[in-house]
Amino acid sequence: MADETYDGPILEIDKLSISFFTRLREIPAVMDFSCTVRPGEAMGLVGESGCGKSTVALGVMQDLGVNGRIVGGSIKFKGQDLGAMTPDELRNIRGSEIAMIYQEPMASLNPAMRIGKQLMEVPMIHFGTSEKEAYNRALEVVTDVKLPDPKRILNSFPHQLSGGQQQRIVIAMALMSKPSLLILDEPTTALDVTVEAAVVELVKDLGKKYGTSMLFISHNLGLVLETCDRICVMYSGETVETGKISDVFDEMQHPYTQALFRSIPLPGADKNARPLIAIPGNFPLPHERPQGCNFGPRCDYFEAGLCDQTQIDMYPVESGDRHETRCLKFKEIDWNAPIDVGKQTEKPAPGDVVLKIDNLKKYYEVAASALFGGANKKVVKANETLSFEARESETLAIVGESGCGKSTFAKVLMGLETATDGQILLNNSEIQDTPIEDRDTKTISNVQMVFQNPFDTLNPSMTVGRQIIRALEIFGIGETEQDRENRMLELLDLVKLPREFAGRMPRQLSGGQKQRVGIARAFAGDAKIVVADEPVSALDVSVQAAVTDLLMEIQRENKTTLLFISHDLSIVRYLSDRVMVMYLGHVVELGTTDQVFQPPYHPYTEALLSAVPIADTSIEKQHIVLEGDIPSAMNPPPGCPFQTRCRWKDQVPGGLCDKEVPPVRILDGNHQVKCHLSDDILARMEPVIKIAAE
Amino acid sequence: MDPLTWTGSIGTVLNPIFLAVVVLFVFTLITQFLLSFTAPPPSITVNPDGSAMSTGGTLGMMGRVNSYLFLGILAMIGVYMFSGLVTPYGTGGIFGEIGARLLPVWIALIVTFVLSITFKRKLGLYGKLFDSMIGMIGFAIVMFWVFVAVFVAFDLVVTHNPLDQISGMKNKVPGTPMSSAGDEGAYPHYLLGGDNLARDVFSRVMQGSQIVLIIAPAATLFAFMVGITLGLPAGYYGGKFDTVLSFIANLVLAFPVILLFFLLVTPEIRAAGIDFGFYYWRVPTILASILFIFPLVFLVLLWNSRFFTQPSKNILYIGLTVLIGGYLYLALAWDADPFGMISIDQNVLIVFVAVVFVNSPTVFRIVRGLVLDIKTRDYVAAGQTRGEGAWYIMLWEILPNARGPLIVDFCLRIGYTTILIGTLGFFGLGLESESPDWGTTINAGRRLLGIYPHPAIAPALALMTLVLGLNLLADGLREESLKD
Ligand SMILES: Nc1ncnc2c1ncn2[C@@H]1O[C@H](COP(=O)(O)OP(=O)(O)OP(=O)(O)O)[C@@H](O)[C@H]1O
Ligand code: SF4
Ligand code: SF4
Ligand SMILES: [Mg+2]
Repeated sequence: MADETYDGPILEIDKLSISFFTRLREIPAVMDFSCTVRPGEAMGLVGESGCGKSTVALGVMQDLGVNGRIVGGSIKFKGQDLGAMTPDELRNIRGSEIAMIYQEPMASLNPAMRIGKQLMEVPMIHFGTSEKEAYNRALEVVTDVKLPDPKRILNSFPHQLSGGQQQRIVIAMALMSKPSLLILDEPTTALDVTVEAAVVELVKDLGKKYGTSMLFISHNLGLVLETCDRICVMYSGETVETGKISDVFDEMQHPYTQALFRSIPLPGADKNARPLIAIPGNFPLPHERPQGCNFGPRCDYFEAGLCDQTQIDMYPVESGDRHETRCLKFKEIDWNAPIDVGKQTEKPAPGDVVLKIDNLKKYYEVAASALFGGANKKVVKANETLSFEARESETLAIVGESGCGKSTFAKVLMGLETATDGQILLNNSEIQDTPIEDRDTKTISNVQMVFQNPFDTLNPSMTVGRQIIRALEIFGIGETEQDRENRMLELLDLVKLPREFAGRMPRQLSGGQKQRVGIARAFAGDAKIVVADEPVSALDVSVQAAVTDLLMEIQRENKTTLLFISHDLSIVRYLSDRVMVMYLGHVVELGTTDQVFQPPYHPYTEALLSAVPIADTSIEKQHIVLEGDIPSAMNPPPGCPFQTRCRWKDQVPGGLCDKEVPPVRILDGNHQVKCHLSDDILARMEPVIKIAAE
Repeated sequence: MDPLTWTGSIGTVLNPIFLAVVVLFVFTLITQFLLSFTAPPPSITVNPDGSAMSTGGTLGMMGRVNSYLFLGILAMIGVYMFSGLVTPYGTGGIFGEIGARLLPVWIALIVTFVLSITFKRKLGLYGKLFDSMIGMIGFAIVMFWVFVAVFVAFDLVVTHNPLDQISGMKNKVPGTPMSSAGDEGAYPHYLLGGDNLARDVFSRVMQGSQIVLIIAPAATLFAFMVGITLGLPAGYYGGKFDTVLSFIANLVLAFPVILLFFLLVTPEIRAAGIDFGFYYWRVPTILASILFIFPLVFLVLLWNSRFFTQPSKNILYIGLTVLIGGYLYLALAWDADPFGMISIDQNVLIVFVAVVFVNSPTVFRIVRGLVLDIKTRDYVAAGQTRGEGAWYIMLWEILPNARGPLIVDFCLRIGYTTILIGTLGFFGLGLESESPDWGTTINAGRRLLGIYPHPAIAPALALMTLVLGLNLLADGLREESLKD
């Protein structure tokens, strides 16, 4: 056991290299990785998928599986080399001194054991604490992680809790033994934005309260800014830059860090002055890394003969506090040079109304029991009185968290479901009651969809070309097979993929490339309306920008109406003309992008804005943390759907929020808000996001 | 001619050595097992070139000795088997001569393996099989029998006609020379002895592989067609259709298989049927006409869902399917081949139908489960949103992506079916008693098992190895398809 008086760094990783050994080759997942975490410090580890973040964490846990090995360097925990410990010592440290929290909460919980028992086990096993004491401790931590009614929670099974609550329990479990180091591997990726904000807030507070050091792994720069003191940026198995948050965010010294920041939309910045710039090319696979600088092939400052020669070391940056960069040219690069904005393309003004939704309702009937259905049917109101219009070449963003009815609306529009009530007018013909089998080819090819998950959007056993040709066949495009073949190749050009990709299988494509094929397929029949369901949320930041730009470019050329479903307000602000905010099946706010992003807000929009992590140190954000989780659509609260979590509720006299569903109010400039708040209170609302005075 | 001993004259030299090596092997195996409780586990070091190596004290060394001994045993078995190829007739004993008779099989196996391993990276899942030791062994055993079946058709492996009874050879032990030196050029020995009708056991076992390897895979294939054609819509649509089908499937599954077989093959039931006056519809024909329609339906749906956008192609494919399939259907299910060329033995038909009938519910359930999982994928939704028909989605979007588990199950199921047919034969059900198939042969040899075990043991071993091979193959496939 590490001695109590130790006051050096908690974790020292020195030149760590980790490889996985597979049948075909050695995969160097992490190379020459160094970092130091001091007591009470929170270190953020950011980088794209596959860059080796999780591998570092598993390395610290000494849990690399059968084929993973540490092939160089050392990991010291409180001055002791973890690599030299016996399995017994390691097990001891792992449970009590180092705790790890994974992305998927259920992976760490035993589904068959009550929460209380699982929590109590920790101190009972590691410290031999008595049952009574362990129970008290469990009660204490569950209160600490801000779960309502701790006693009831302790007595329940994991599946009875929501995702956010489960993650809190996992955190509680990690805290049971008062660890000195907490490793969090994407702890909130599986959660909704508002829930994520609450969990992050919690982690931050607990870190302070317990003085725990943290290694916080994330791909989201904004989250790291909010939680950490220091940051390590990783690229393809290496750290490329490390330093204090403020140094790295504001005075970055590595081209990759710079490119990363330029490829994410910041809600504070203007989209014309600061367009998204995608990083060209693709992330190299571990065994296909280039000679010299790993980032070389994608770097704007690449210098042949210098950057592609030898391995590059970390160089200290004098001005910063332990600020280091892995770039040979960092001293020569003018870091403050203005961004080359490139050609500005003017977006065509929105044209005629092509899609009109009027009082659309979609209710599902769910039988309470599958076997003896019929007795008590429950009604889930997935969409409640949706009304809006969308015009030609307009982007309408539909924003909301999981379960708010976005996907249901998409299904009704596509014809996979029929509406319960109301109208959908597509080019003035009603389609709400026509299921897809009865729609004519023109209608079908006019309304198409881009899906969220790149790994799921293409049929894994059919070539890319074949899948696009199939769409062409179905839409009746092209007279001969040759015609369709040509059209397919043109579509590949359209989405900027090389023509050779036609013969490839989906597994040979990266996530971004698959998403492009998905887009090509959607535009196969010259779609007029494209529903894009979170098209970039599963992609890495560096490719997100490229895919977003592609979508917007095609939209400009084809005058497509884009219905952009997303929960990421930064990207919504960047690309949409109008925004519709949904909560539990209701449209709570609808207006132009400016109207929605500026006060007056609907209280839910306000919270959503505040929850979005923003990777910009000059932004000041109001912290609005929503209590609790999103209610289930099976039994929504009476009155205003948002009333269970609304912080403005008490401003409405007479408890109206609990009783009546608020009417849609039309504010200036056709800005719709569904709330009981009076005009003067709405007028008094403060902007959530402010750019700090320079 | 002298009788052959098991190992012939090389045995006199090799047998003592072989015995010693086997004893040593067993001994080291036991010590290693005992040591593993006390000795430290082998540690793993990483070489400078990045490869990892396992080094271990005594335990590691024991392991190495062990594997050498095992290789030694294998090599000596090889010598026994192949000595017959090079030494004069009789020197290698029974083993050697069997090895020599199987020469074409060995050559075919070696060619298959050399080709497959050379090109394994280009061969998809089949190629990956050659990365797994288990899979390779399983594949080798299965292919051994497949090649035997193939070469028997060319009269290559067998030594005598499997139906010929040669006087004086009744129940003779393995290696007995032919009694009547009569025919010049006839094979001089009954390698595995004679059965109680004085037929050559070796030839019968080899010939029997043909029947087993045709009926079992074909019946399994039909069971898959039925299971898939029903399982896809059950999983995809769900609802009442699914409830009803699942209920029927469970009903069939809950029924004791053997009892079901007895029912299906008893003469009374077989003779029963519906009398239409002009046509007497017998039970086997009823079942066959229902079950055999599925492959036809399956193929027509398969083509139509994909090619309905290109009518000319569509008509071609469907036309061909209906013509050829319909012809086979008439010939096999109704025994009404208009040209009188193809017909199926009623005994075989009933076995076939019975096997398909008991296997398809399980396949149905597997397919249904897979569909439930895969239908939530986005590419299925993409198909729906571009207005694809349900059958296209089921057959072209869902089914190809369920192939991994289905292929594995296919291998296992052939093994299961083989045993099932064997069991049927053993109970004297199904195939006629002349038939050299393994089940029937085991049954025939059963009565004299106490005195003359060899006529039953040889086919039993054959059945066992084939099923083992199929199981290993399935294991290997499963293991490899799970990797990346
Ligand atoms: N068990 C394994 N066997 C072989 N290669 C592996 C194994 N685990 C990880 N890798 C490889 O190591 C590299 C780093 O993976 P790692 O999981 O650490 O990335 P990550 O940064 O955590 O990504 P993500 O953001 O997707 O979680 C990847 O190229 C990955 O394919
Ligand atoms: S070393 Fe060269 S290629 Fe690498 S990041 Fe620096 S400038 Fe770019
Ligand atoms: S109606 Fe009431 S509860 Fe609903 S959002 Fe407005 S203030 Fe909040
Ligand atoms: Mg990871």
